Amino acid sequence: MNASDIPVIDVDVLVIGGGTAGPMAAVTAKEQDPNLKVMLLEKANVKRSGAISMGMDGLNNAIVPGHSTPEQYVKEITIANDGIVHQPALMAYAQRSFPMIEKLDSWGVHFQKDETGDYDMKKVHHLGTYVLPMPEGHNVKKILYRRLRRHRVQIENRYQATRLLKDGDGRIAGMIGVNTRTAEPIIIRAKAVIMATGAAGRIGLPTSGYLFGTYENPSNNGDGHAMAYHVGADLANLECFQINPLLKDYNGPACAYVTGPLGGFTANSQGERFIECDYWSGQMMLEFFKELEGGNGPVFLKLDHLAEETIQEIETVLHTNERPSRGRFHDGRETDYRQHMVEMHISEVGFCSGHSASGVWVDETGATTVPGLYGAGDMASVAHSYMLGAFVYGQICGESAAAFAKERSEMPALDEAFIAAELERIQAPLKVTDGIPPAQMEYKVRRLVNDYLQPPKVTKKMEIGLQRILAVREDLPRLQATDPHELLRAMEVQSIIDCAEMAARASLYRTESRWGLYHYRVDCPEQNDSEWFCHTRLYKDDNGNMAHGKRPVAPYLVELGEEKDAYQKLRVQKAANA
Amino acid sequence: MPTATQRTSVPVIIDEDKCIADKGCTVCIDVCPLDVLWINPDTGKAHMRYDECWYCMPCEADCPTDAVKVEIPYLLR
Amino acid sequence: MKQYDDPELQEIAEKLADPDPGIRRVAVLALVDSGEPEAAELLIQALKDEDPAVRQEAAKVVDEFDAEDIADSLLAALSDGDEVVRNAAAHALADLKDPSVAPPLLAALERSDDPFVVAGILRALKPLRVAAAQTPALHRLSDDDARVRREAVGVLGWLKAVENLPALIDRARSDADPEVRRAAAGALVYASAERVGPPLVAILDDPHWQVRCEAALGIGKLDYQAGLEALIAASRDGTWQVREKAAEALGKLGGVAAVPALGECARDAMSNLRKAAIGALGTIAEPECRPYIERALDDPDPDVRKLARWAQSQLDNAA
Repeated sequence: MNASDIPVIDVDVLVIGGGTAGPMAAVTAKEQDPNLKVMLLEKANVKRSGAISMGMDGLNNAIVPGHSTPEQYVKEITIANDGIVHQPALMAYAQRSFPMIEKLDSWGVHFQKDETGDYDMKKVHHLGTYVLPMPEGHNVKKILYRRLRRHRVQIENRYQATRLLKDGDGRIAGMIGVNTRTAEPIIIRAKAVIMATGAAGRIGLPTSGYLFGTYENPSNNGDGHAMAYHVGADLANLECFQINPLLKDYNGPACAYVTGPLGGFTANSQGERFIECDYWSGQMMLEFFKELEGGNGPVFLKLDHLAEETIQEIETVLHTNERPSRGRFHDGRETDYRQHMVEMHISEVGFCSGHSASGVWVDETGATTVPGLYGAGDMASVAHSYMLGAFVYGQICGESAAAFAKERSEMPALDEAFIAAELERIQAPLKVTDGIPPAQMEYKVRRLVNDYLQPPKVTKKMEIGLQRILAVREDLPRLQATDPHELLRAMEVQSIIDCAEMAARASLYRTESRWGLYHYRVDCPEQNDSEWFCHTRLYKDDNGNMAHGKRPVAPYLVELGEEKDAYQKLRVQKAANA
Repeated sequence: MPTATQRTSVPVIIDEDKCIADKGCTVCIDVCPLDVLWINPDTGKAHMRYDECWYCMPCEADCPTDAVKVEIPYLLR
Repeated sequence: MKQYDDPELQEIAEKLADPDPGIRRVAVLALVDSGEPEAAELLIQALKDEDPAVRQEAAKVVDEFDAEDIADSLLAALSDGDEVVRNAAAHALADLKDPSVAPPLLAALERSDDPFVVAGILRALKPLRVAAAQTPALHRLSDDDARVRREAVGVLGWLKAVENLPALIDRARSDADPEVRRAAAGALVYASAERVGPPLVAILDDPHWQVRCEAALGIGKLDYQAGLEALIAASRDGTWQVREKAAEALGKLGGVAAVPALGECARDAMSNLRKAAIGALGTIAEPECRPYIERALDDPDPDVRKLARWAQSQLDNAA
């Protein structure tokens, strides 16, 4: 097939990724103007794709009047991220947080309410109150799907986007991709594009060694990060890895925000709490890591002190939402919350702004550095977004992209030469014989990420790791796909290699330690604000090389004042004689 | 480079007596985020063709006839 | 058979008329993917299918449709012989956020006796907050079935009307079912402290610990000062979860009188209770709290230590 044979579909707004942020973005664009042609493209099936395919058990960052304020939230997230945040973006989230909860509530999403119908907020952190349980949150995807159909968003399932397209003026022009079941290429020409491709959650290897037993949905493998890089968008703070606490081997969340309000907690082998830090942050993960490796390790989820009624409630929530197979996992090992603590561990590394702060740079309008290209959810750089942040930035991007598309009078021109080259890249693995299977190459690069990039980070090791990753890249001409499904994996492994290289280079660039475990460099152990109080940029330069730069932190909207050291003050070490 | 074929035990099990894929049902195949379930051409029923499972359960939860059982992959068990 | 313009919908319609129930069942599944508003009428048709498996399938996907379009059929499905169908219909009805569906729901409530159906309708009425639901809900408070009484309490709690308080207090104090008592106790917080304080204090003696927790929570939320002594007693309850809620409530009430009792809680073996106690002492922030707070600075539990440090700063600020 030649480039000129590929059908071109024209739309006003294209949304790539149908998980959480994507459907909200598509629906919002339609709400802005029902006449806009809006397409939602999804690598899997919109019905059950993304991080919340089986729903979600709670909001971790709900800013509900009477319980917390946007200012308080912005302050706390700034502190939890060691100051490196874009506060205008956090504030935009914070101000829309409650209206979004109200909107989702009106759509039929079930939030926990008390017996008088008020939101049943739970205080989990020591300063603000942000947790809103959703014990019946398993229907979120169904509700989104219903909205997509009502607004007549055009849905294309089982298409993988592989590269974004630009016009001659450097504005976004659409994308090229491939059907994951037929290997047929597709070109979508669009006036505006929203990426909502999720975390890069398949760049490290889980401890089980099972390639798909990742913390994140493994279809979130960093395609969006790679596409953004190749189209020339800035990525930010990629050295701020995502590392999460989890149930060991099962590799799914332990859900401290579900069990915490009910009295459960993270304990060491003595059954005692050990975490000094308050907010879910890299600092907390560093404490977790040290306990895991220390004499009181490993770490456990402790529920065995709770009442039978409470345990049943926890089981109902945890075994019906988000990762429901965890009940089956416990059964297999005869683990009963009533009698046993459950062994925990830390996740493989990844990029995910839902829990940490790295990703494709976006501002408070959801805009990337490429005109007409927007980003929302786990792949965009707004810190600590969680699910509600994905919804809010989906909405913000939907509004921004609709406005951009409406101002653009004509469909963008397509770069034929670029398309021809990309078509060749897509089809190459199908033409290789006696080559390397995608799974083997993927295992190798992800194993290298674990060996060389997983914190604690050591400069020389990362340099070796980068060389080894680049050596895998050299093998790409021998990458072979024997069918369309393997081609999907072959295209994914190329994104994984891109992300692994970005992870290595970004980590080497910032020569200090910051964000606790996320960027803990053993040979530069101190935080160095005089040189590194900035975002780091990673981008493709004019010569096609991976380049770095600094982006100043925008002036704060909310000064931290005396709370600046609040977390430090709260973290009181156990007295030596206690 | 020569290649070998390796066996692997897969976590998703289909009860072929209950599966109604032969009547046109493709629910489990549609909802799988990793696209690892396919129709087995020999039986006309669904089966797990690729050992790439997130044990996320939509296939089991959405199956109209309770024909699908998701087990935890052996390496994690 | 009706003809549809949309070819996909037409194909589904034809399959829904197939003699093989298996084919009809699969057709129902395909309905979900149709963006055509007319898909709803085919769903309604499937809800009336002669084969229970087809009806079940239709019921399972009702929540993928806008309930307004199928409200009447959902109400009819509440009386289906199959529990899966009834259950799905009740759930979908509960998602109706439109007050205009209240009249048909109320009409269905009047003619229903099946406890499952009645509970489902009451659950659907609750978020609508329509005054017309008050009388039937009050009536159902004396239903034989605890599930019905529990949902009736829910309707009345969300209405927040003063005149329903006697009935709710009665349920909170004397219902045979602990979950009904707990829900009713939780609902009382919409009233004034003077009005519901005394019954909440009485409920602190409930035989079930979750009901006692709810009462302590309510006294704290309403800042019912006359409940202080009862809360102090509850802070020595045999169940630590009750002691924890009592300690939190004592913090909300403030006042030095609670300090010794909170001091006891701050020595409890259960760290969750020590946390609650130190948090309460920090909220009270009187000089009498200081020895307990300072001792907690060396607590083996870091959460207690964190709260102790915070409480210390509260004391220093108050001084």
